[in-house]
Amino acid sequence: MALQHDLLWYKDAIIYQVHVRTFYDSNGDGIGEFRGLAQKLDYLQELGVNAIWLMPFFPSPLRDDGYDIADYRSVHSSYGTLEDFKVFLDAAHERDIRVIVEMVLNHTSDQHPWFQESRSSRDNPRRDWYVWSETDTRYRGVRIIFTDTELSNWAWDPVSKEYYWHRFFNHQPDLNYDNPVVREEMWQIMKFWAEMGVDGFRLDAVPYLVEREGTSCENLPETHAVLKELRARLDKEYPGKMLLAEANQWPADLRPYFANGDEFHMAFHFPLMPRMFMGLKLEDRKPITEILQQTPAIPENCQWCLFLRNHDELTLEMVTDMERDYMYDEYAKDKNMRINVGIRRRLAPLLDNDRRRIELMNGMLLSLPGTPIIYYGDEIGMGDNVKLGDRNGVRTPMQWDGGWNGGFSSADPESLYSPIMLNPVYGYQAVNVQSQKRFDHSLLSWMKRIIKVRKSMPVFGRGTMEFLYPANHRVLAYIRELGKERILAVNNLSSSAQVVELDLKKYKGEILIEMFGKNIFPRVTDRPYLLTMGPYQFYWFRLRKI
Amino acid sequence: MWELMVAQLTQATREIVGSTARFLPHLLEMLLIVFVGWIIAYLLRHILRSVLRLMGLDRMSEHAGAAQLLNKAALPAPSELLSRLAFWLAWLGFILIGISVLGIVGMQEHISSFFGFLPRLFAGLFLLFIGLLAASFFSRAALLAAVNADLPSPRLVSSTIRVLMVVFTISMCFEELGLAAHTVLVAFTLVFGALMLGLAIAFGLGGQDLARRYLEGKFIYDKVKTEERDELSHL
Amino acid sequence: MAEESILTDDFLRELMNVGEVDILIGVPTLNDAATVGQVVQCIRTGLLKYFPRQRAAIVNVDGGSRDSTQDLVRAASISDLAAGTNPNALRTLHSISTSSAGSTENGAALHTIVAAADLVRATTCAIVSPNSTSIEPEWIDRLLRPVSRDNFDLVTPIYRRHKFDGLLVRNLVYPMTRAVYCKRVREPHPSEIAFSGKLASHFLEQDIWSQPATENGAETYLVIAAITGGFRLAQSFLGPKPRVDHSSGDLVLAMRQTVGVLFWALGKNFPACPANVAEEVPVMGQQADVSLEPIRVNRKRLHQMFVHGVAELQPVLDSILSSSTLAELIQAAGTPEDKFRYSDELWVRTVYEFAGAYHREVISPDHVIQALAPLYRGKTYMFLVENRDASGEEVEKNVENLCLAFERLKPYLLEVWDGRK
Repeated sequence: MALQHDLLWYKDAIIYQVHVRTFYDSNGDGIGEFRGLAQKLDYLQELGVNAIWLMPFFPSPLRDDGYDIADYRSVHSSYGTLEDFKVFLDAAHERDIRVIVEMVLNHTSDQHPWFQESRSSRDNPRRDWYVWSETDTRYRGVRIIFTDTELSNWAWDPVSKEYYWHRFFNHQPDLNYDNPVVREEMWQIMKFWAEMGVDGFRLDAVPYLVEREGTSCENLPETHAVLKELRARLDKEYPGKMLLAEANQWPADLRPYFANGDEFHMAFHFPLMPRMFMGLKLEDRKPITEILQQTPAIPENCQWCLFLRNHDELTLEMVTDMERDYMYDEYAKDKNMRINVGIRRRLAPLLDNDRRRIELMNGMLLSLPGTPIIYYGDEIGMGDNVKLGDRNGVRTPMQWDGGWNGGFSSADPESLYSPIMLNPVYGYQAVNVQSQKRFDHSLLSWMKRIIKVRKSMPVFGRGTMEFLYPANHRVLAYIRELGKERILAVNNLSSSAQVVELDLKKYKGEILIEMFGKNIFPRVTDRPYLLTMGPYQFYWFRLRKI
Repeated sequence: MWELMVAQLTQATREIVGSTARFLPHLLEMLLIVFVGWIIAYLLRHILRSVLRLMGLDRMSEHAGAAQLLNKAALPAPSELLSRLAFWLAWLGFILIGISVLGIVGMQEHISSFFGFLPRLFAGLFLLFIGLLAASFFSRAALLAAVNADLPSPRLVSSTIRVLMVVFTISMCFEELGLAAHTVLVAFTLVFGALMLGLAIAFGLGGQDLARRYLEGKFIYDKVKTEERDELSHL
Repeated sequence: MAEESILTDDFLRELMNVGEVDILIGVPTLNDAATVGQVVQCIRTGLLKYFPRQRAAIVNVDGGSRDSTQDLVRAASISDLAAGTNPNALRTLHSISTSSAGSTENGAALHTIVAAADLVRATTCAIVSPNSTSIEPEWIDRLLRPVSRDNFDLVTPIYRRHKFDGLLVRNLVYPMTRAVYCKRVREPHPSEIAFSGKLASHFLEQDIWSQPATENGAETYLVIAAITGGFRLAQSFLGPKPRVDHSSGDLVLAMRQTVGVLFWALGKNFPACPANVAEEVPVMGQQADVSLEPIRVNRKRLHQMFVHGVAELQPVLDSILSSSTLAELIQAAGTPEDKFRYSDELWVRTVYEFAGAYHREVISPDHVIQALAPLYRGKTYMFLVENRDASGEEVEKNVENLCLAFERLKPYLLEVWDGRK
């Protein structure tokens, strides 16, 4: 294994989120698989990412894009075999790319043998592997997550004539974590994959593991106890493996998931993401700075995970009603774009395919404190298809070239797991890897450059952050610091040129070196540091004392 | 004897004729200067009148109330007055030049000192004019302010200010003209001082009530007379 | 050498930081710490409630306050600095303050506000008085909405006023403005006003800022400029106007701010409107409202000051008024108080003759205005007597009759303007 052993590797990671199905089809069946993904590892290495987060690839009826798991220890036949996965894993490690897999702890598919047994009768040994009830009145008042499709968190099982609890789709019954057998089984599953060599686990839907009457059934102490136990066992047997929490909560509610550095290593900062989009539209840094001001400090060995988009809708759960209405009006005028409590669009369409805004958002993603995640296809500016159901519009095939099926598959276009993008703006002939590789000024080339710059200094991943509050509210500026390394990031959120004066007195005498062109900017003095910025422009400066 | 008388008469006549003959060119020169001077003075009067009207001197004087002043004195408008004054002064100057050409002994000196006096005369007249204008303006301003502040005897205040300013102006003029400067200055000081003393006594003793009412109105009105104040608002 | 600017370097820097806004609200102040805090907080609340998505800024132009006026205004800012954070606000709200370049005159403040609005390209602007203690957040909506959403260029307020409030406006400024400019603007000298960015830019270009007439009454000229410039006008009902105590000395200042500006402006636009009947200006919300609670009124003093004024100022009035008008006034002054009459017609002729005298500069223009004050007191006395027991509708009817008199006698103004009569 070529990877360096570093217990805090995840702090320097740049993660690429991908579903194996979407990336590359090497066998011509219209569906991407691990052999294909392995063939594209060179591309990812060249891009500069050093970790891949794989979305669920387990056997599943695929009614929730693989998050309804029917077998935790295997690979869905469409994506290859377990052997194919091992080959892919080794190939990734050879290229210094770590692999993070999904572990859906909260629920299984109703097609999972466990549930089939559990529902078969009330006396079955696996009966209490799930949460059953004679009535649907227990845990009254608990919010429904998939509001567009579900009317209740209870579903009636006609087989065993009882209700079963499900926080997500009704075909995804929740496991019962009050049952120690369930907890042991889930650990064994994690151990299976850890032993194989995966470097980390993204634990899906963790706030909902345990239920208690009279509560919101989210973020309960019992849930944290389960997770801490898992972490302790992982650390003991597989030190250096990482746990990433998927918990769509306010920062203060997320803090307990880090505990004292003995629960999760990382957690997604959900509330920050919509506020970055909001700040851009408002041309005002206020939403961004305020949410980060409210974000509590986390243990030294922990890290936030930042992202712009992912496979789900751009969630608007963690914003106020006024903010939600604003986001809908500005980013999803067409009601087709709205689903659950969010917006199902990709990055480029959200930003009107404006290259400057795309660069600015990526600039913030890669310079704010946290580990960045890039959603597959966003590095070339792929578009979305809101006409596809659920959130499938942001899960279309990767566009490799301008040829047959965009280079994704040799199969007939009708056989593809999802239609490929065709329109003149975002279609595969307009947006693809091959054409962007040819030009230095393409988005792909730019992404490679910025990732390289980011990786050149550990301060991005491991440094502290201090906001500067210039009087011009359209400019977001902050200092990142790690030991003697110091970076100044300045972002113009406005569509027009701006002037900003920064109070850098504290760093008097230091010289600013712009990190992309490496040109020298004036030395810092007692006076306000004046910068003029073009529309949506950002600067990264290194501060050097010579 | 008769021949002696005729010879002397003839001699005298010859001398008179000779003097007259010598004097005539000078006389003619003088008349020419006076005539030319009249033309120049006439032109100057017209030009000056046009210039002053363009500058709006008549209007400014109306503001200050000087126009009314001149009107009362049956004097024409300021621009006309000044242009006529300029005419006479200019022509007088030429007349004096003409007289000097006659060569009368002693005349030169008087004429020179007259011309030397002219600038001071002009300055004095200018001061007088400005002073009268200012007196008129400020006395009216005081009248209006006193009426609107409901002070008693606004005309007394206005007139007092006018008189003081006129007296002051006249004394300045005399000083400028150098006419009994010290006498006028001392007299002015005495009069002014006496006036002030008199006012102080009158105001302090005789006008105690008035003074008290005035001061109350200025500083205590708000507290003491609230019940008499109305609650109207104008805007 | 660069010309002196009304915008100080520090203020310009603050405007740079504010950037482009949709709404700019100006608050001119001078030692208003007692009331300005409440007013700006109300403005802030109104903006958050009714215009939460709009980019807005509050701009205070201070004439040299020695109290905490400027700090109170700045405290209304909403920003991401820990002290100012407000999670209910979508955006940053700048509330900035500057001094009006060494001047304490209101005209300088308005000039600065209008210049700031032009620079930050505000599409909707407003001026709010720092003394409007009866202000509510709804005023912001009522004032700004016609400009921001309905594309009006100028919105003047309509208040609920006591029947004996705003007497100068009721008896002179409103009727004369209406007659001369043919627009029924109830408050031609508004404490609150809203205008479009387009009108602000037009106003800024006017060569009036160094004129003595606009030093204190620029708001009045703003209304006149909007009327003569053909801009779209509207009026909006706000609520009760706070009553401000005046001493008699303030009457001259009030007249300078209104009548002085009116007369001066007439000189720039004469004859402003040939029609004899004024157009209605659309009203948002209810029409003017009159309250009737008893207040203290010293009518006797007004009568005395009129009589006293006519007597003492006769030489001055002689150069202003026609002999017939002056004779009538002298006769009125000689009448006992219980028989005193100052008819609408006589008042209109008085005012028009004063306007003509002002224009012809028979004496200093400011002296003309001061000389009108005692005569206005006489008219005020008459108004108080006639409306002592009047209801709100009756008061409005009397004001309307006065307006009709101003309109009817407009040809007389044309005659006296150039001194033909």
